[in-house]
Amino acid sequence: MKAIGPSSLGAAFVGIAPTLAARLAGALIASAIVCIVVPAAAAPRPEPAPPPAPSEAQGPASPASAVAVPTAPVSLSARKIYEQARSQLVQIRTVLKGRASQTSVGSGFFVTPQGHILTNFHVVSEAALKPEQHDLVYVTADGREAPLTILQLDVLHDLALLRAGDAAPSAASGAGKRFDALAFRPANEPLAQGERIYSLGNPLDVGFAVTQGTYNGLVKRSFYPQIFFGGALSAGMSGGPALDEEGHVVGVNVARRIDGEQVSFLVPGEFASALLARGKDAAPLVGSAYPIVDEQLLKHQATLTDRFIAQGWKEATHPRYRVPVPPDVFMRCWGTSTVSQTGGLDFERSDCVMDTRIFVGDFTTGTISLRHESYDGTKLGALRFASRYAASFRNESFVRLSSQHQTKPRCEEDYIDRDGLPLRAVVCMRAYKKLPQLYDVAVLVATLDQSQTGVQGRFDAQGVSFANAQRLARHYLDAYRWVAPH
Amino acid sequence: MGSAALAQIEPSALAAPPAPALLEIVDRDGLVRQSWRIDRWPVTIGRALDNTIVLSDPHVAAHHATIDLVAAGDAAPARVVVAAGETRNGVVVGRRDRVAGGAAREIVDDGRGVELQIGRAQLRLRLPSDALAAEQPMSAVADTDHRWPPTLGFAVAVLLFVLASVWIDTDPEALVRSAGTVLLSTIAGGAIWCGLWALLSKTFTRQSHFGWHVRVFVVASLVLLALSVVPPLFAFAFSWPWLTDFSFVAVYATAAAAIYFHLLAVEPSRRRLMRGVAATGFVVGVALSLWFNVQRTGRLGEELYMNHLFPPQLRLAKPKSVDRFIDGLAPMQAILDKQAKEHGNGEGDDARGDDDE
Repeated sequence: MKAIGPSSLGAAFVGIAPTLAARLAGALIASAIVCIVVPAAAAPRPEPAPPPAPSEAQGPASPASAVAVPTAPVSLSARKIYEQARSQLVQIRTVLKGRASQTSVGSGFFVTPQGHILTNFHVVSEAALKPEQHDLVYVTADGREAPLTILQLDVLHDLALLRAGDAAPSAASGAGKRFDALAFRPANEPLAQGERIYSLGNPLDVGFAVTQGTYNGLVKRSFYPQIFFGGALSAGMSGGPALDEEGHVVGVNVARRIDGEQVSFLVPGEFASALLARGKDAAPLVGSAYPIVDEQLLKHQATLTDRFIAQGWKEATHPRYRVPVPPDVFMRCWGTSTVSQTGGLDFERSDCVMDTRIFVGDFTTGTISLRHESYDGTKLGALRFASRYAASFRNESFVRLSSQHQTKPRCEEDYIDRDGLPLRAVVCMRAYKKLPQLYDVAVLVATLDQSQTGVQGRFDAQGVSFANAQRLARHYLDAYRWVAPH
Repeated sequence: MGSAALAQIEPSALAAPPAPALLEIVDRDGLVRQSWRIDRWPVTIGRALDNTIVLSDPHVAAHHATIDLVAAGDAAPARVVVAAGETRNGVVVGRRDRVAGGAAREIVDDGRGVELQIGRAQLRLRLPSDALAAEQPMSAVADTDHRWPPTLGFAVAVLLFVLASVWIDTDPEALVRSAGTVLLSTIAGGAIWCGLWALLSKTFTRQSHFGWHVRVFVVASLVLLALSVVPPLFAFAFSWPWLTDFSFVAVYATAAAAIYFHLLAVEPSRRRLMRGVAATGFVVGVALSLWFNVQRTGRLGEELYMNHLFPPQLRLAKPKSVDRFIDGLAPMQAILDKQAKEHGNGEGDDARGDDDE
């Protein structure tokens, strides 16, 4: 199998439209992750899900450090925020076992006096997925270093709950060491757009830093809620806390857009506190985290498939056909129109992608994309049109991840009848090797009722169960029909 | 082959049965390079000057061999005795029968003459008793060299085909220029191809057989062009993906046949060998392609899916309902699951899998 680039996107673009491709590249590269420094850490992403009920928004036992300003909140300066959070802030290093070198660094913060630390899943993914090669350690602002264990993961929201290795009750005292911890901002006190927030972490392993920015509400069209932070995040700050002016945690640094300025993303604090509540007393993770990732991705794909199918399709996407284009709920569509300069094929193209992708170590998954091209070859005649139409149909790739992660594609194909509209349909699937019961599915469609015009569409869903792959493919194929009966 | 004929040819008979015969040196293509008329027996062959036939070849002994004709009745076939002298290389009779130095071998003439190898020289002894085979027609190769009209007809067909495909593949406004380019490069490419083969023919047979090579080239091109259209068309019309999946086999067969016919004009006397070369090339080529396909895609065929589209009117296969099509995907799950497990069993040994790759 041909090895392909690390996070190549599911949709393979028919290489005809450079402008569009450039535009899309921008859209797709979208939230390139903030995190880690190391070589090519792929881009982790935002998250999903209807906001889980904020179980307990208050981190347990907020230490004295949380200088809660009584009524009439007086703004603290960034300096004070940092001073106050300094002892709760840690850098998290992934270290190659047996060799002292670090493979990646991120940030994290204490959330309980018992030594629970929150960070991003992508900060600890190497240690979680390949525990036999990596160790995790944390380093505090004053240089103290100690090992870490992983208690619980929330892959969909890109969170991990860890515990300081030096927190276990010591044989001598019976009681564990006490840590300063940050508290969560109560869920019933939502932030207002424009409020100042402070993001802390250790950017690029340069040193601990605090950056300020504004709260801009939730990211639009994100599959899982994510805070739009109008501030600068840098690699290495992933997993660090974002604090309000009282020093309470409002979110966890997770990603930024590399094609914009100060467009950064935070995981809302409610997911972090939910993970803490769920995993506080969990036993440390033993062995690889792939089974946990698999289980969470199976939940994700069930939600994704249901929401995708429930939202239906846009109307009026083509004068002759109803071409499947999803509504702008959690997907974004870009279009271009290309007129041939040499009297050849004219076409219009639409690309729909989700911003949300689930980061799984070496790759991302859990996303849906659609594309179609509408061809007009009336200047060419039937034979010449057919040749170009076929070339475009041929120019598709069904290989995404390296053979270490995915099987080679298998395809089924046939002519399909959609209420009289004949289609050529190809369905190709790949299985994930380390994530049992998850598959990528791609559906390729070409209309075959006109000899000089036609529409070709492609649907891709990554990381879905086989049954849902079939459901989605059926949903997509069923969407094609003539606008007016023939 | 009576004695009357012998008497005619041999006026002054000295030794026992006067038997005029012919000893020839034959080159690798079977053409005679030198011949000696044998009027008296025995004939001695060697490097020394006192031999009847002197071969100045360092691999030949001073007195290498003696050939004598044994008197035979009119009815009985002639017999020849080949005696090797003091030689370390001996004499090879026929294809592989080697007569060592000092030994002798009696050979019954089978009517086709006696072949001997002495040193590096290939000798043929023609005896009066040999039957004369009928005259052979000139080979197709030599024949074709002078029959251009059919070849030109095929060549025109190829060019028209090429022009048609340029017309199809090129946008209207770029047509003229690219037609010129493609036409020129087709002609130049064909000329170079045929020229190289003609050079090979010339090297081995001293004749270029250019006409033959052109004929082989244009016919093969025509078949290959047809193969680029017919299987895809049928695959589209009947929804037969396997047809284009494996049409490379027909392409290889055509190429192997073309090579065989080209080779015929290079080594005309070794048809069998050349057929073997072409067949081996075909088998190896197909096997390599299949192996490569399996490595690349996990399937034997070449195309992941049938990707040839023609005007919709040419579709003959009946379309299915979406439900039937989607239900038909089910068997894929088991295949994919099996493939996923073959390598780095889903859970568990994933880290080791990572190491390996």
